[in-house]
Amino acid sequence: MTELTWARVTPRAGLPYWLHSYRILVRWHLAGLRLWLTLLASIQILAGAGFVLGIALFFRHIPAIAALFVATGVPVINLVMVGLILGPQLVADQKLQQSYDFIRALPALQTAAACAWYTVCLLAGIPAVVISLVIAEARYGISFAVSPAILPAVLLTAFTGTMIGYALGHAVPNPMATRLTTQLLIFAIFGYTPILFPARQLPGWLATVDWWLPFGHMAVIVRAGLTDGLVTGVATSYAIVAVWGAIGIAVSAWALGRRG
Amino acid sequence: MSTGNALRAPSLPVAARSGPGYWLGSLSEMMRFDLGQARQWAAMTVVIQILMGAGMALMYGFFYPRITPAIALYISTGTPALALIPLGFVMVPGTVGQRKLEGTFDFIWSMPVPRSVQATSTFLLYTLLSLPGTVLALVVATWRYGIDLHISPQIVPGVGLCALMAVSVGFGMALAIGNPLVTNLIANALIFVVLLFSPIVFPPTNLPAWLFAVDRILPFYSMAEVIRAGLTTGLVTDLGRSYLVLLAWTAAGWIMTAWVVGRRR
Repeated sequence: MTELTWARVTPRAGLPYWLHSYRILVRWHLAGLRLWLTLLASIQILAGAGFVLGIALFFRHIPAIAALFVATGVPVINLVMVGLILGPQLVADQKLQQSYDFIRALPALQTAAACAWYTVCLLAGIPAVVISLVIAEARYGISFAVSPAILPAVLLTAFTGTMIGYALGHAVPNPMATRLTTQLLIFAIFGYTPILFPARQLPGWLATVDWWLPFGHMAVIVRAGLTDGLVTGVATSYAIVAVWGAIGIAVSAWALGRRG
Repeated sequence: MSTGNALRAPSLPVAARSGPGYWLGSLSEMMRFDLGQARQWAAMTVVIQILMGAGMALMYGFFYPRITPAIALYISTGTPALALIPLGFVMVPGTVGQRKLEGTFDFIWSMPVPRSVQATSTFLLYTLLSLPGTVLALVVATWRYGIDLHISPQIVPGVGLCALMAVSVGFGMALAIGNPLVTNLIANALIFVVLLFSPIVFPPTNLPAWLFAVDRILPFYSMAEVIRAGLTTGLVTDLGRSYLVLLAWTAAGWIMTAWVVGRRR
């Protein structure tokens, strides 16, 4: 008689399994992207510093308010750059290189995978945020009034940026379309959304369009955590950014839940 | 006995593969070949140029709390340079990178025309293609900012030289640098530096002296100046130096191209 040996099967559900998946995937991303992330972090720091310093050249004497808006807007761009711009491009590359199906087949929970990716994006953005702020403080003599509100603002901004990028990467079937969209997004974020300058400097119709988009509101909530009395309607902005985060989750869930 | 007459080979019309006549004939053939290829993407080029040139001109305006006539004039007259820079320094290297990956160069270089003709054809083609988008971007910017320009005949050699310089340097750089990824990285870094730190849409007096010294050697400020001189009166001084800088960069692009194209493999 043969003896049956039972393999030890751990259930693929429950909190311990989720945490295990999460840990493994964070390590997976960090290892897989180690070269990219180092390069990207350096580019982010240079771009952040470049913008903070370069904006002064637009003016003979930069008005204090313009400097303040740029100084508090650059961190938003730093926070969403990896999740919103690089993330979809990486997924598009995976689709082109046919490694997408392999990664989809990994026995990890989708929510753990999304949270792991969010963690990586957040980690990649934070150093540039800090350095941009320090440079702005040194160059323009701005003293930021940092309040505890900065914490939820940073977490939510990075989250919504990452989730929109996640949705874009997974839901758009054509990698070229993804690439083009992210390139348009970079352009829009720098120049056509009220992140680096106040919304009143935009034409009325564009300001209205931007009111429905999350980017200007991300800047409002981050600004609220860094300054005193500069922004109003912070609760509305939190709500709009959160709604966009939820839309990102919903679209990603739909895209990842499909078969085929 | 028959003489050698019967054995005389029929004389083929063999044209000499040298001389200015042959070179110009080859050029017109090569231009037709390149134009045929360009039909696919020429319209797209114009659209991207309008988006980049006019799009950036509008964008710069949003950064100012109040747009004075001087600011508006600088932004509008900087627009043609903004439309030419992405074409020469990003799109041309991008096309070259793609051709390298596809192996198209080997095919084109195997054609029975001098390689100098092939390069000249490419330069001419891109220079011509870059003009409609540049003009349209300028039209959009002047309409947005309500600027009256004083257009002088100088604009023709000015824009022509700027376009030729941008295409030549972009092409030479893309050929000389082996890895397309490196070229891409340089192109993107360049665009970022140019858009923020080169006095194209703002006066150079805003810059610290050392930065302006650097910008006077790089081609971007000179492009803006040469074009601005054709659109305004009294705003641009030291035009001769700007032309010299552009000519020097054009020559550098050609030397890089000649060095790569002339090598045997």
